[in-house]
Amino acid sequence: MNFKYSEQQDMLRTMAREFLVGECPKSRTRELEKDARGYDPGTWKRMAELGWQGLLLPTEYDGSGAEFMDLVVLMEEMGRNILPGPFFATVALAALPIMDFASREQQASYLPGIAGGQTIWTLAVDEDPADCDYSRIRTSALQQDGAYLLKGEKTLAPYAGVADYMLTAARIRRGRIPDKGLTLFIVDMKKPGVEVETILTITGETLYQVSFKNVKLHNGDILGTAGEGEDLLARILDKAALLKCAEVCGACQALLEMSVAYAGERRQFGKPIGTFQVIQHRLVDMMIQVEGLQHLVYQAGWMMGAGMDCSEQIAMAKVKANEVYQHAALDCIRVHGAIGFSLDHDAGLYYRRVLASRFFPYDSGHYLEKVAAGIGL
Amino acid sequence: MDFSLGKQEEALRSEAREFAEREIPQSFIANFLDEESHDEDWAFSLSISRKLAERGWLAMGWPQQYGGRDASHLEQMVFAMEAAYRGIPGLSMGVSGTGWVGPSLMMYGNEDQRRKYLPLIASGSPDGVWCTGYSEPNSGSDFASIRTSAVRQGDEYIVNGQKVWTSCAHRARWCWLAVKTTLNGGKPQDGISLLIVDMRSRGITVNPLLNYSGEHIFNEVFFDNVHVPAVNLVGEENRGWYQLMKSLAYERHSFCGQSYGSAKRILDGLAGFASQTRRNGKPIAADSAVRHRLAALAIELETLKMFAYEIACKLDEGAMPVYEASRNKSVADHLLEELALAGTEILGACSQVERHSRLSRLNGLIQRQYLMSPGTAIAAGTDEIEKNIIGKFKLGLPKSY
Repeated sequence: MNFKYSEQQDMLRTMAREFLVGECPKSRTRELEKDARGYDPGTWKRMAELGWQGLLLPTEYDGSGAEFMDLVVLMEEMGRNILPGPFFATVALAALPIMDFASREQQASYLPGIAGGQTIWTLAVDEDPADCDYSRIRTSALQQDGAYLLKGEKTLAPYAGVADYMLTAARIRRGRIPDKGLTLFIVDMKKPGVEVETILTITGETLYQVSFKNVKLHNGDILGTAGEGEDLLARILDKAALLKCAEVCGACQALLEMSVAYAGERRQFGKPIGTFQVIQHRLVDMMIQVEGLQHLVYQAGWMMGAGMDCSEQIAMAKVKANEVYQHAALDCIRVHGAIGFSLDHDAGLYYRRVLASRFFPYDSGHYLEKVAAGIGL
Repeated sequence: MDFSLGKQEEALRSEAREFAEREIPQSFIANFLDEESHDEDWAFSLSISRKLAERGWLAMGWPQQYGGRDASHLEQMVFAMEAAYRGIPGLSMGVSGTGWVGPSLMMYGNEDQRRKYLPLIASGSPDGVWCTGYSEPNSGSDFASIRTSAVRQGDEYIVNGQKVWTSCAHRARWCWLAVKTTLNGGKPQDGISLLIVDMRSRGITVNPLLNYSGEHIFNEVFFDNVHVPAVNLVGEENRGWYQLMKSLAYERHSFCGQSYGSAKRILDGLAGFASQTRRNGKPIAADSAVRHRLAALAIELETLKMFAYEIACKLDEGAMPVYEASRNKSVADHLLEELALAGTEILGACSQVERHSRLSRLNGLIQRQYLMSPGTAIAAGTDEIEKNIIGKFKLGLPKSY
């Protein structure tokens, strides 16, 4: 047993922290919240030069072939700093599924573009009412004249407005829902019939409504095996959920550090407010929660990297991430007082983003059910 | 990073399980937290201590020359977890013998003391049972304010004063005693020393203090001109406070594996009970409030497991984890309390009956935890004190008291 970062992870962490602080100070984050694209193409390019988009991808497709924990460490840093942009959407929601489930031809045609930073990807599976019940997906892709005609509406898709490609899920058979006909497709966003519409949010991250109006797809656009989309999606979302937890974990560390620093500086009643046990114990509770989250994330990440079944550990990490992020953000604002509630303070950037991660890809109830099943309930 | 257990730890875990299946009657399982209360339980517990000693499990982390077998902290942690999960009693030699007296003697005792006391503890002998004299009537969390004094006279210290909440004093052969050796001048922390006191010495009176369920776990102990040989001073005179801070980290840490095992046993018990018991026409486990409550506790249990392994790994690397020990105790105490409360909800009205009653469920496990939790959460430092320690040592915040 060993709780330490590898040398590679230590280097990556240090480098990522420096890069992100320089590349994306909070003033830039605030600007990007108002930017229609929601990301900085220059930063995106420089990240590709550092090999980030292709960190886990095989070297034959211009990736770095790193181990899964390395990406966990990188996501943590991105979460800590807040990096607006399609990294998670491209890497966690598309590149890894392609690496794990796509044909060699698909990998050869798509992965180098991702690793090189030329293409942006996303995943669109949610449908109104966005209740994360993917067994009830209604979007269809029925076969007609040797092609699949994709028809339906997807919602809450991140970065669909700037994406070159997306993965989506549709049914290839008519009939009862749920059934076994769910299939994942790769969709080129330039195809006729793909329309996107902005959904404004309170989180600082724009989401998109995506309509498919008889978009023509072919066998070569299917990811994995036709009809096995539900199983595939579960595995894709499991891994993505874990990476989301890593991002949240980094954000929580930032909130904790911000709060501790302020409690040491801010004086009231002639003393630093960190002298007061009400404040001090709140910070200690926060720290214990954040460390606990980090351990759960690392455990799941290590298991994922070692090829072990870690669905239950991911479920635990995600419930914890949801709770810890929410409370850490609230407590951070509380420790700061009114300044924490102001536009110019960073606490609010995190607090608003809590909701962007909390329901991705499922709510806590879903994961609690998984944990309950794991203990024999 | 690598969070797998080695073959050695896995093997130890199965051996502990087999040992428990062979040696521990089902009826004893719920009873180990207050083993010193009843003569029969105490005798049984000590008999298990001896069996554990024969296998080299009682003080497995100590060097062979003192009766141990140089086991790693990770092995010790895995064993403590499994032992508590299986209800194996007799591991602590009077709360403190294996937990912190031994480790403290190895850290700052002298060679004569190590040779004399460590093998007694490691062999499971009744002469290896220890109590710990820290708290006094007016010195609880403010430990530096203790007033029990030890005045040097020739080759002896003359000890006078009173200790309270002294667990196991009525069973112990020795007391690990904190005293004031300098009464005037300097910081109160600078006048404290540690003594080993023979509980058979003249001038010691042990009075039982029963807890709220009538169990005899702790005592008040009076010292009236007790003569203690000066060679029983542990470490340096007047440096006791600083030595103690390390001992206390061990003390808090030593509970962690045991708390994890107990918590896991309760969680498993409750999950089994909820699945097998019907209420209002359906299994209790079908109630999503129950499912989610237990699932949330399972997540905290998993977190505690990682915290426990982390501290074991740090100790194996030679670090002295101070804030981590406080963190783990705080998390473990909170989890056990929450499990006890969830348990009373799930068992319902049956959670109030005495454990031998016909209506008692899960062998009285929930009642036991419900009664023990408030006490264990105070022993070795209240939650508030633990958080002060973490605030200072981990977060670097100013002293708050």
